[in-house]
Amino acid sequence: MEELAEDRAAEVVIDARVESTGVPLITINGELDSSNVATLEATIASVAAGHPAQLVFDLSGLRFMDSAGISALIGAAAKVDAVRLRQPSPAVTRVIELTGLSSVLPSEP
Amino acid sequence: MSGGAGLATRPPEGTAPPTAGPPAGGPLPPSEPSGAVWRWRPSRVFAITLLLGLLVTAAFAVISLRVYDRNEDRLLRLRAREVGSVLTAVVPSIQTPLASAAELADATSGDAARFRAFMAPYVGPGRQFASASLWHLGTSKLAPMAVVGAAPALAALPAQMRAFFKHAERSQRLNIIGILGAPRPSLGFEFSTPGAKHGYAVYAENPLPKDRRSALARNSAFSDLNYALYLGHSRRQADLLVTSLHRFPIKGRQASTSTPFGDTVFTLIVTPNGPLGGTFFASLPWIIVAVGVLISLAAALMTDRLARRRQHAEQLSGVLDRVAAENHQLYTEQRGIAQTLQHALLPDALPPFGGLRVSARYIPAASGIDVGGDWYDVVAKSEGQALLVIGDVSGHGLHSATTMALLRHATLAYAAEDPRPAVVLAKLSDFVNSEEHDYFATVLCALIDVEAHSLTVASAGHIAPLLMNGGGGEYVKLKVNVPIGVTRDSDYEETATPVPPGSTLVAFTDGLVERRTEILDSGLARLRETATGQRLAPDDLVEVLTRDLASKDHNDDTAIVVIQWKS
Repeated sequence: MEELAEDRAAEVVIDARVESTGVPLITINGELDSSNVATLEATIASVAAGHPAQLVFDLSGLRFMDSAGISALIGAAAKVDAVRLRQPSPAVTRVIELTGLSSVLPSEP
Repeated sequence: MSGGAGLATRPPEGTAPPTAGPPAGGPLPPSEPSGAVWRWRPSRVFAITLLLGLLVTAAFAVISLRVYDRNEDRLLRLRAREVGSVLTAVVPSIQTPLASAAELADATSGDAARFRAFMAPYVGPGRQFASASLWHLGTSKLAPMAVVGAAPALAALPAQMRAFFKHAERSQRLNIIGILGAPRPSLGFEFSTPGAKHGYAVYAENPLPKDRRSALARNSAFSDLNYALYLGHSRRQADLLVTSLHRFPIKGRQASTSTPFGDTVFTLIVTPNGPLGGTFFASLPWIIVAVGVLISLAAALMTDRLARRRQHAEQLSGVLDRVAAENHQLYTEQRGIAQTLQHALLPDALPPFGGLRVSARYIPAASGIDVGGDWYDVVAKSEGQALLVIGDVSGHGLHSATTMALLRHATLAYAAEDPRPAVVLAKLSDFVNSEEHDYFATVLCALIDVEAHSLTVASAGHIAPLLMNGGGGEYVKLKVNVPIGVTRDSDYEETATPVPPGSTLVAFTDGLVERRTEILDSGLARLRETATGQRLAPDDLVEVLTRDLASKDHNDDTAIVVIQWKS
């Protein structure tokens, strides 16, 4: 279990680019919660403005995500046909399972 | 669901207190008074600082001037004494030839040839005298016995001549006749042999320079001085022997010294040509004044600027304090309104159920004024059945709260038609998806059959409830389907769970288990640890959970429902 000091603001680094397959890729590194989720939402909005069919989130560097992050991902899923998660951590996978979102936010095989 | 945003494009709603614009208390003070130089008026601070600076400057200037004055006076007195000593050294060069000639005349009974031979080297242009003559005193008709050089002017002035020689007869030292006016201004000297009555007198004359003016040579040791030399103690123009000055009376700084000269004295007045101590010390007071005025002005301007800045800052901080106070008041009021609204949307008190004890609580977010989207209901169905609904609309704010109210009543309506949880959720999903929406919601429905000791649960993205009996507790195993409003898929599955008598069910929204930067399982484990092991009545358990788990800094609202079966 990963516990972090409460008085420290969560830090997140978000990077958006397009994969060689033409699918937009948003990489989220660090910790995502309600204090910094607006950054991700802005990135999603700018990527979704191009009306891509798919969207991939690389979560291999995402150590923690709370329900605010889940909300942002669901928001992304509502804007494109399909969203896939790349290498989510067990903790992130668990949140998605607990909230019944495995079908909406599937992980890449 | 917590989080700052809804499903689609709704901008995040901050939970911080609102920062209002300028308050009604008055406009903000103008910023730095730049660009208004022409309107600048000196402040009191400016005037006081400038005045103090100028006073200090004046004091220093006066002290410097006094010191300079005293120095110059002292230097001038020293110079006058030096000039006096030079004059004193001149006297013997006049007296000695005359005294020697008088001795010679006495010894030679007035031999004119010897006299002429003796005096010749002393007389002539560039020498001590212009004219020298030998006189025999005591004769009735006074006339020179021998003359070297020019004829004495005194011979043409009988009255003066008699008076002078009469005086000289009794005096045995160098006698000065004074200034003879005609035919041209001359100074006459006489020496007669001491002790010899009716002896011989040697008389010499020197013409005074034209207009009595004689400048000192530029390279002289006294070129920094002007002087005036008077005969006697007088300072009358008539007694002026020679001077380098043009204007009389002498004004300004001056020093005088007297030098004995025969039966009279020379009075020497000197005045400086310029500053004797050097030009730097002369201009020092003015340098002090100039620098002092500049420094005073600069200091006054700087003080003025600082004072204005401080005043500005004080005004600003006053305004900010007022804004903060007003904001706080607004915030408190809004928070009060929001919470009143929230509670109005939730059931007042849950009705009693046969065989069940129920307690519930809504806890607003600790920070922020937002109303939340959490809700709950426990309603009696057919005989021995009750339906528990707990849900959470994404986001915060009035929008979430009104959506919550809509979903709550829709759920109750669908439950009235058919209380089976999967059916209720499917209908709710269709209802939400029937129109454009920008939110989603997690909803848990649990149909309780008291008599059959069973629980049928369906979840649309909602965390499973905790079921406790005996000493342990487990989260109800169920299939969690997607939240309401995320997809058009409305397949919801329900799971039936047996409930032994005396069991306790804790349903909750994520505010109870979610902490910043902590994974959900930690919160779930903490809830189970807190809730199990202590057999509490529902009201007490709600109290304990609120106290222990609803953290002080949580920014999400929380709903808790506790249902206990009678044993």
